[in-house]
Amino acid sequence: MKKTLTLLGLFSFAILFAQTASNLTEFKENIASQKAEAKAQLKPYRFDGSKVTYFNFKTYKQVKEVEIYLFNNTDYRFSFNGKSLPNDISVEIYDKDKTQGDRILLKTLDGLQGKNVLVESSELNDTYREAKNSKGRLKRVFVDYIITPVPGAINKKPTMKERGAIVLVMGYKN
Amino acid sequence: MKKTKLLLNLIAVSAVSLLLSCGGNTEEDTNELNVVDTTDALSDEDFEDMFESPEVDYHLPSPLQVASIFKKSGLDYNSDATSKTDLVENYTEELTQMLNFGVYSADMAYCVLNEQSNEGRKYLQVITDLTERIGMEAVFENKDLMDRFDKNIEDKDSIEILMIDIHERTEMYMDENDMQHQQAIHFAGAWTEGMYLGVYDFENNPEKEGVGTQITEQMSILGNIIKGLKDPKNDGMDIEWLISNMENIQNTFDEFESVNAYYEDPDAEELVLTITENSELSELIKSLRTKIING
Repeated sequence: MKKTLTLLGLFSFAILFAQTASNLTEFKENIASQKAEAKAQLKPYRFDGSKVTYFNFKTYKQVKEVEIYLFNNTDYRFSFNGKSLPNDISVEIYDKDKTQGDRILLKTLDGLQGKNVLVESSELNDTYREAKNSKGRLKRVFVDYIITPVPGAINKKPTMKERGAIVLVMGYKN
Repeated sequence: MKKTKLLLNLIAVSAVSLLLSCGGNTEEDTNELNVVDTTDALSDEDFEDMFESPEVDYHLPSPLQVASIFKKSGLDYNSDATSKTDLVENYTEELTQMLNFGVYSADMAYCVLNEQSNEGRKYLQVITDLTERIGMEAVFENKDLMDRFDKNIEDKDSIEILMIDIHERTEMYMDENDMQHQQAIHFAGAWTEGMYLGVYDFENNPEKEGVGTQITEQMSILGNIIKGLKDPKNDGMDIEWLISNMENIQNTFDEFESVNAYYEDPDAEELVLTITENSELSELIKSLRTKIING
């Protein structure tokens, strides 16, 4: 009896494991196609790379930050794809990292879930110059993903409906 | 990807079949349970790592973008400046292979952007060799990239697009195989070579202020390269000497008077080093580059 129960338990585990692995593989496949979609939106800018930020919605707010360099005499385009978001998040772009109290908010994106949105460095530079009242330019930007809390989320062992990712593809004008 | 999905399902079914076919006494059953418990724990951790990005992350520019920025700043092509392709035979250790993969990627970008396609082809060949040795041969699967290069050798735009493809394939391969931590090692090689090419030109043509400004601007990336190299997953790669050399460059730069003055002046637009500071920085970069290419 004990052996039968053990085998049944193992069988259930194997099915569950296969299901989870299969779901995660599908999740990754979707990311790859979203990356391709985001890259296509970059044109005529040259692709420079991508950064996929993975997270799990939890019962509390989280912030994940990505630092991007902006070099002299170069215009950049950022393509954000939010098609792997089970819930909406906010994107905020700053001139300094999240530990700096005096940083300038350059751009906010809301309602990204299910969409692909473009941002160009020229508009970020305009906002920066206006806020600083100077002719300077941005040398880097910090993209903050504000991951909203989800009541009832399982913080320690997230399920597929709590998993999210945002695809960011960067391009520069040649 | 579909193959992976099918494989995972097959593994699970095979595991169940194997377990069902096992007989034996109670003691053996207990041992089997212990084995399964360990696998379960490892699998969960792996999935968590792959699907939870760090709180703070960064994007490093591709070698092609760096070469493009230097070129726009006035950098000229110097055929003697790039690393020799025959040195590839000396790179027998994983670390030197990965670092020089970065060095040759920067050299290839430099050649392609300066319309030296035949030279660029030589670098593509050694990069292909190195990816095989590193175990990343899938990046050049079917050799289609080399064929495309040959077909478009006279078309700079097409060759640039091919370089972007190589970069994208490498990035995708490393993401899918949880090798992001090793990107910092490739990038350390590419960064050093890019800086060396800038320094080489600037030393011979100090009037090119744009190149000098670009060298100092590229210094902003160094902190994140060092952070990437220090990723615990790179433990065992014997990169302490590399980190120490890069930290020395960073610390020397941070102590320059021009750098301090720049950060103290909120209205300062561009950072320009003095001749002495430029010379000191150049020597450190040349020294590190020699260590990397000498393997």
